[in-house]
Amino acid sequence: MNYFTNGFLTAADLLLNMDKATFSAVEATLSSTTIALICAMILGLPLGFLIGYTNFPGKRLARLISDTLLAFPTVLIGLLVYIFITHRGPLGHMGLLFTIPGMAIGQTILALPIIVSWTAQAIENLDPRCRQTLLTLGASPMQTALHTIREVRYDLGMVCVTAFGRVVTEVGVAMMLGGNIRYHTRTMTTAISLETSKGEFAQGIALGLVLLGIAFIVNAALTWLRHKGRV
Amino acid sequence: MSQIFEIRELRKEYGGLLALDLPELDVASGDLVSLVGRNGSGKSTLLRMLAFLEKPSSGLLNYLGGPEPRREVTLLLQNPYLLKCSVFDNVTLGLCLRGDRENLPARYAEAMRAAGFADPQAMASRYSSQLSGGERQRISLASRIILKPRVLLLDEPTAHVDAASERMILDTVRACLGQGTTVICATHDRQLFSDFPTVREVELRRV
Repeated sequence: MNYFTNGFLTAADLLLNMDKATFSAVEATLSSTTIALICAMILGLPLGFLIGYTNFPGKRLARLISDTLLAFPTVLIGLLVYIFITHRGPLGHMGLLFTIPGMAIGQTILALPIIVSWTAQAIENLDPRCRQTLLTLGASPMQTALHTIREVRYDLGMVCVTAFGRVVTEVGVAMMLGGNIRYHTRTMTTAISLETSKGEFAQGIALGLVLLGIAFIVNAALTWLRHKGRV
Repeated sequence: MSQIFEIRELRKEYGGLLALDLPELDVASGDLVSLVGRNGSGKSTLLRMLAFLEKPSSGLLNYLGGPEPRREVTLLLQNPYLLKCSVFDNVTLGLCLRGDRENLPARYAEAMRAAGFADPQAMASRYSSQLSGGERQRISLASRIILKPRVLLLDEPTAHVDAASERMILDTVRACLGQGTTVICATHDRQLFSDFPTVREVELRRV
């Protein structure tokens, strides 16, 4: 039990003294996660809106594919992207392997189905009277679409926060595509995994506390958005 | 008075089931038309077609008003929907959609008073979740009359409100008719407009 207490005390020391390795992992995590989330939002929000709002042949199939990809194992994503960006792969010349952008590619693929499926779900769950009301107030098709998005804005915020929570806590993609290189691509989760395997709990606990802090902020944001969404 | 709607042999089917069969109906500008009939007789279906939310399966439905039918005809749904924004934003939404943002506070206040709210400012920043059923109905009505529509379509506007709200809604309808608005109202209550000087009752038969 002593090493457990010592782990917490050393973790507090690392955090208070702004330990370089600890904060480098935090920085790498936030960098890759932010890039991934922005890319996933740019691609996923319009795609999810199209699936939820419009009717087109193959809509059900698109939804089924997106829903299935929600269960995409992170190590499989890592493997597939690895094949593409490894030095012998089709995108090998871009030098993305073991870099933050390389990790962000995998994490984008991880976040994309969450954003697509849940955006479509939010739009489909919207009361059909909303669209009818907008049309009877004289809205054009474009205005109707824009106000529909506005109506589900808090749900879309929740979708993005949830995707962020999923990406920031994953290990598989970051490990395979980042390579867990110290001061470069070592993220909080890969660092925790490594330090634990070495029996060094202090940095793992410190990073775990930071992750918990982030999880708290994410959940506080979710609670706030849920409350606002009930307006 | 000029004619505003011309209907001939109007039929609406949903998946092969006939929901409405209306041989003929002419509506003149400034008319008050009361659509009566049992459940399933097609009153709401007819209103949705008159509001251009749905197309007829067959027959003729001509709007003979101005050049922008969608902006001249408005429908108050039976169970109105308020957007997730303040009462002020809900009431003025139609004007904003038209790009008409001139003097919104004064027009908001006028529409809210016409819908029976003595203190429109007190309501302005409230949200739909903070409103009673009667208030929601009258706020939705205010969001329609602020547009000064040529045709106001009402689907059972007094079905879920108390006597006081019903009286206010009827006063609003009376004021709209006074301004030359055509009002077409679906209702189960044949006595709803008994105090009105002229009302045309159209009975829809269950198909």
